[in-house]
Amino acid sequence: MKALSHVSHPRLGIGCRVRKAENGDTVLLLPEGVLRLKGTAAEIIRLCDGERTFADILGAMQAQYPSSDPKQIAQETESFLNRLLERRAVDFQ
Amino acid sequence: MRTPPPLALIAEVTHRCPLHCVYCSNPLELKARAEELPTETWARVFEEGAELGMLHVHFTGGEPLARNDLTQLVAAAHSRLLYTNLITSGIGLNEKKLATLIEAGLDHLQLSFQDGEEKFANWIAGAGAHAHKLALAQIVQQSGRLAFTVNLVVHRHNLDRLDSMISFAESLGPQRIEIANVQYYGWALKNRQWLLPTREQVKQSLAVVEQAQERLKGQIKIDFVTPDYYATFPKPCMGGWGRQLLLVDPSGRVLPCHAAAVIPDLHFENVEQEPLRWIWEESLAFRRFRGEDWMPEPCRSCERRTLDFGGCRCQAFLIAGDANSTDPVCSLAPAHHLVEERLVRTNSLTSTAPSPSLTPQSAQSWTYRPQPP
Repeated sequence: MKALSHVSHPRLGIGCRVRKAENGDTVLLLPEGVLRLKGTAAEIIRLCDGERTFADILGAMQAQYPSSDPKQIAQETESFLNRLLERRAVDFQ
Repeated sequence: MRTPPPLALIAEVTHRCPLHCVYCSNPLELKARAEELPTETWARVFEEGAELGMLHVHFTGGEPLARNDLTQLVAAAHSRLLYTNLITSGIGLNEKKLATLIEAGLDHLQLSFQDGEEKFANWIAGAGAHAHKLALAQIVQQSGRLAFTVNLVVHRHNLDRLDSMISFAESLGPQRIEIANVQYYGWALKNRQWLLPTREQVKQSLAVVEQAQERLKGQIKIDFVTPDYYATFPKPCMGGWGRQLLLVDPSGRVLPCHAAAVIPDLHFENVEQEPLRWIWEESLAFRRFRGEDWMPEPCRSCERRTLDFGGCRCQAFLIAGDANSTDPVCSLAPAHHLVEERLVRTNSLTSTAPSPSLTPQSAQSWTYRPQPP
């Protein structure tokens, strides 16, 4: 498995895309289904543009939520992105 | 409460197909070319579906590429922001056509392989398609512009070689591999006695799949469709009747699944006559097994009813003769003995199964799916 590191450039997996559903939910469309992105999940995905590094993404999330424990943000973001990688919903370059 | 919208539409745009796979999931009564919906009607269906809130369109057939307006159909779905998925044998596709489809908004392509080895693949398909698929896989992979899944259907004649089939699929460079045990509807049901795997094959294949999933983690996602005759509990067929998916057949009939037309007392509405929303929310066929009111015991009081929704209505009809009964593959079903008896026969099979050396004529029980009229 490709490991996520601070210099990885996460981006949406090939053939995966984000849109608003009719009911206003942000959804990530995958070949085999749909992930409804709630709260911070949608923000993380928006930052996965292939330009930002994983470190940039963590920095942005930590700046967005200054009152949350930065370590916890880092752990949760990493495990979220790893789960998406297993579904090939993101790639790490 | 308002009925939640469907997630996806299965657009069975044609029953025409250059392949004749012995496990084809199409109904035995294939729709003729003359009955197929015109381009404009499909475009309207996608529009109505998008308004209803659905997100995906799965183009399937038959072979969707047998229609010469497939690019227009993909563009129509894409223009409604629907995710477009082409489920194909690859026959009718080349580099130029693929580029046109991607330009029209195709998001994902699922290419089926009947085997990793040409002689077996062509035998199962009843057509010499394997070499073309191999060449095409390379074009799809190299385009790098759409998601790519390799689909492998597994059964008695290839489960022992699953490990090498996965290596084969891996070599084609997809993001996903779908390993699907044959589901016994349509033509597959006709050929069931030659396709059902043995208990030992199933057991070994589960280990092979698990190992491959672990080995390819983060690299290729492996989806596995279980052999439900060997399961303890039924599959949540289509995610529940009229709950997530709907299928429009080539003639415009709207069904809750691929096989529902086998259930004798159901009438299916047609998109030529009725709005999709009404069909989904109100029509009798979709309401018939939606929710839990229809459930008999043991489903009605079973805590798994919210997980598997009583299993598959078509299978209940096909095996037990009653679409209202618990799916007979469930170990708790009153008709489960019918599945067990079938498996006893499968596991003690002494008659000679067909093999690639036999012609269709000499393998009398082996029925290839024909072309529609």
